[in-house]
Amino acid sequence: MHELLLFASVPVHQHHELLQQLTGLTAMQPRHLVERRLIFKAYRKPGLVTSRVGGSQDLQQSGDLQRVNKMLNGGMFYTQVVGPVSESDFSTSGPADPDTQMEGMDESKPTAQGTSTYDYEQQPWKLEFRDIPEAGTRSAVTSRVMASASLPCGDIIPSMNAWGYSFVTEYVVEGDVFIQNDIVIYLHRVLHYPSGEQEHREPRRHLPVLKEMTPLEKSGSYVLQASINVLDGSNQETMKTASQRLFGLREQLKSAVRLEQADRLSLDTRAK
Amino acid sequence: MSALTSDQIKVLEQSRQRLVQLTRSLGSLIASLNQSDPLPPWSSLQSQASIISNNLVSVSEHLSDHRDLLSSLVAYPGPDYPGRTQASTLEQLLRTKLDPRVQDWVARGRTAGTEPPAVDASNLNSSAIAAAAHAQKPLSETELADLWEWAPIEANQEARRRNWGGNFTLEEREAGIQNVVTGLKRQLEDDEGSEDEEEEEEDEEGEDEMEVVGVHRKSGGNGFEFEIAPHHAHAVEPVVPLADILRYMTTGRMQ
Repeated sequence: MHELLLFASVPVHQHHELLQQLTGLTAMQPRHLVERRLIFKAYRKPGLVTSRVGGSQDLQQSGDLQRVNKMLNGGMFYTQVVGPVSESDFSTSGPADPDTQMEGMDESKPTAQGTSTYDYEQQPWKLEFRDIPEAGTRSAVTSRVMASASLPCGDIIPSMNAWGYSFVTEYVVEGDVFIQNDIVIYLHRVLHYPSGEQEHREPRRHLPVLKEMTPLEKSGSYVLQASINVLDGSNQETMKTASQRLFGLREQLKSAVRLEQADRLSLDTRAK
Repeated sequence: MSALTSDQIKVLEQSRQRLVQLTRSLGSLIASLNQSDPLPPWSSLQSQASIISNNLVSVSEHLSDHRDLLSSLVAYPGPDYPGRTQASTLEQLLRTKLDPRVQDWVARGRTAGTEPPAVDASNLNSSAIAAAAHAQKPLSETELADLWEWAPIEANQEARRRNWGGNFTLEEREAGIQNVVTGLKRQLEDDEGSEDEEEEEEDEEGEDEMEVVGVHRKSGGNGFEFEIAPHHAHAVEPVVPLADILRYMTTGRMQ
């Protein structure tokens, strides 16, 4: 799968307006989305065969398998594990009321937790692999190879470790999704977990109060991302059509935001 | 019918040159309005307008200076004029009445010219005649003069009653600033900031943004698809560049 993307930075004062404009443009209400995103980084396991000498004889490999091989054995990449959460999964209040405090909730954190129904064991996860955007593309869109796969619910650290990935950090992305024909428009921003907590070596089992999450961009600005997924990236025709669609959207939004190609190196997923 | 003297030919040549200049400067103004996006800065528009008006003045001076000659001249085709190939030019030269479109312009110009108060008023001061425009009649010259005489003094007096600077007026401060309904969610500080306390627009995200109605970003010819993003009084531009945000989202690091 290929992914074609355009990005724009949206100042916070324009956010509400842009939501309305996008609602009008796409003729749909925004779908609010909150996601936990865990960043994993590949590390080379000792003794792992990293390159397949003479692998070119293995012509039976399907494109997907090649990609998986590349992902696992070739270059080392950052990859993301994304878990959708709802706002009700976050704690409802700061200091917990002892009466409503559930037993055993506090075992991993000394800080008081509010009540929430969040169950880490039931959290669904999806592995999202993104390659570094293609270099020197003719068109002015970011295009990159992507692949996604569902993971088992709950604690995914052991399985990720088994695949040679170590946990780096996690953050929350909140935003709104619009769909216009083939284009997915995602107006989102990154939220940090409240500072003051100790560095986490593994994903949090409890979610803090949503209001205490601080935006990565201090002014609270948003990122507008318009993307189209193309199943067959080698087909120049469909790639071109998809880029044209994105350019059409860029033209329609021209007076509101400037959608642009992202800096390729800022989307560099290679682990060094 | 006597032939033209060289002086008279010179006069004709001068009028041609001035008209050419006028068309050229009009053309450049039209081109800059059509082509540049956003619109060119007002200073350049104004200088172009003043060039055009200078051209107009010089044309009109020239025409009135040589009125006697120009009104007595008659055009007729010479025997060696290529009447077959240049028929349309010939018709233009020989027509005695104006083009119907031009005639309309002239008629409009004449009506505007015979009502000097209306023209003056709309040129001079649009806000001062708002009341008059409401009543559908323009202010007379004397009324306008009165208005101009009255306004600066009155504005000055009003201004002196205020202690400028700060978020609150003296009256508001004396009555206690905590009672002032600003319509803002953030707290205004008492000692600095802007004076304006506008009605805040509906505010769902908890952002304190104010919309100045009617102020729009210039955007040339593309105002069709969308309402142009309004200018905000408290625009907060993002501090972190987009590339850094994307980098963080990709690798969990800013660098």
